[in-house]
Amino acid sequence: MIFPQPLQALVESLCRFPGIGPKTAQRMAFFLLGLSREEVVGIARAMVEAKDKLRFCSSCGCLTEEEPCRYCSDQSRIQNVLCVVQEPRDVFVLERTGQYRGLYHVLHGALSPLDGIGPEELRLPLLFKRISRQGITEVIIATNPNVEGDATAAYLARMIKPMGVKVTRIAFGLPVGGDLEYADDLTLSRALEGRREM
Amino acid sequence: MYLENISLKNFRNYSVQTVSFHPDINILFGSNAQGKTNLLEAIYYLCTSRSFRTNNDQELIKKGSNFFFIKGSFRRNESNYLVETGYQYPQGVKIKLNSKEIKRSAFIHQIPVVIFCPEDILLLKEGPALRRRFLNLEGSRLNPLYYTNFKDYFRALQQRNRLLKEHRHGILDPALLEPWDQELVKLGAAIIRMRIAMLKDLEQQSFIFFNLLTGALESLSIMYQSSIDYQDHLEHLEDSFRLQLKKNLALDQKRGYTSVGPHLDDFSVAINGLDARKFASQGQQRTAVLALKMGELALFKQAGGAEPIVLLDDVFSEFDQRRQQHLFTYLSERDGQSFITTAVKIKHFETGPKKRFNIFTVCKGKIDAGSRLDY
Ligand SMILES: [Zn+2]
Repeated sequence: MIFPQPLQALVESLCRFPGIGPKTAQRMAFFLLGLSREEVVGIARAMVEAKDKLRFCSSCGCLTEEEPCRYCSDQSRIQNVLCVVQEPRDVFVLERTGQYRGLYHVLHGALSPLDGIGPEELRLPLLFKRISRQGITEVIIATNPNVEGDATAAYLARMIKPMGVKVTRIAFGLPVGGDLEYADDLTLSRALEGRREM
Repeated sequence: MYLENISLKNFRNYSVQTVSFHPDINILFGSNAQGKTNLLEAIYYLCTSRSFRTNNDQELIKKGSNFFFIKGSFRRNESNYLVETGYQYPQGVKIKLNSKEIKRSAFIHQIPVVIFCPEDILLLKEGPALRRRFLNLEGSRLNPLYYTNFKDYFRALQQRNRLLKEHRHGILDPALLEPWDQELVKLGAAIIRMRIAMLKDLEQQSFIFFNLLTGALESLSIMYQSSIDYQDHLEHLEDSFRLQLKKNLALDQKRGYTSVGPHLDDFSVAINGLDARKFASQGQQRTAVLALKMGELALFKQAGGAEPIVLLDDVFSEFDQRRQQHLFTYLSERDGQSFITTAVKIKHFETGPKKRFNIFTVCKGKIDAGSRLDY
């Protein structure tokens, strides 16, 4: 199929989204072209603004507008419990349950030699520093319930336990082999309650 | 579930062909290279949307054409299932169930079918890779958890091997390796336990069938053989596995792979207590493999599966008359539909308890529903 160059460029850009194939990208492109100029500018502006205004919190690594983020700066949260997650989106997943009131730490990945990800590629030194300086007494590991997430949890437990901190892993009822983000709120609440010491 | 009829277009050596089948036994009779196995292949393809002889669908197209088409209607109780499957080069496969297009991946295991062919004897004769494949396929079919564990184990194994390779000429921090060892031990032990349990069930079921074929004159046993030495104490499996991973580490690091675990395990089949691979005759080996496959079928049925369609390719010629008769009796007494190809006339088949069969003559890509007199 031969599209005019700007349309072709638009389709190719949309194809870069995860889970979007050429056919869906074409549908999206034609949808955009059917909108008014103002509406298209609105969508484009939302993208650019999100990108410009959001950064990773220098302390916990979550997505935030302010620095430090609202979780790190909220003194009403439990200050001695830290939950370790793989991806920034996982923080929102856990927040949605309303069950967790402690602090977060985002690793931005999981151990995976096949992908060239070792401890150096994760935000680990900062994690260890926070644990020792902020008087953390329990670390809840909420990495994904798959092989890489489990191995990362095992590695973290091995490194953190000697610091005299309780290390727990949420596991109960989580879909095996899945991602944290696919767990529903109730399952996740139960997983938090049923966390086991590692 | 049984196949009522099939229509072929440009499949292997068939141009255009339509046949109706008997719900119990169908005997496909003819000399070699006339199209008997091709018909079984078409039936298998209709049931599974893949061939048991090749992964390349293009090979299934009749020479000089660029597509093949298979259509068949299955009946289960009062329901009818019309399956249409076509392959066109280079577009690919299209599958329709009751005139609605469905994905190939969604179609797998919809219609249960098993094939038994002369090459199956390799399961006993060849090295362990084929037997491991058998374990993994059967394990996954019988227990979805087996498949998840196997997939995860394999992933953890690849991660560990990559780590070993990266540190081939250096020092490997135990803290880096330990998490993968933990995953390997947890998942690997679960796999081994499931395999042992499955083989125990398989042994029981195969034994029944083996007795039937041999007239209870010989015994059949199956033994799991692990690369992990746990001294027959299954409760020590995890500890033994962990220990042996550590013991082999230096060598594994040098080689860049993991030399112990279920990915290297095997099983052996014994007839009258002797390893069938080394000590059994060709006939005994064939009987044992057929017994394994029939045992597999029984397990599948136990797990709530439907009675599969059984395809037996050139199996009778390998057996003496006594075994032929036992097998035929078994097939005529089971509930499901069977297809049997043979180049030789099967003697005694008419003495079976119920005469529930049709005979077809296959000659140069043509199928005739011959009468019994022609046969
Ligand atoms: Zn923060």
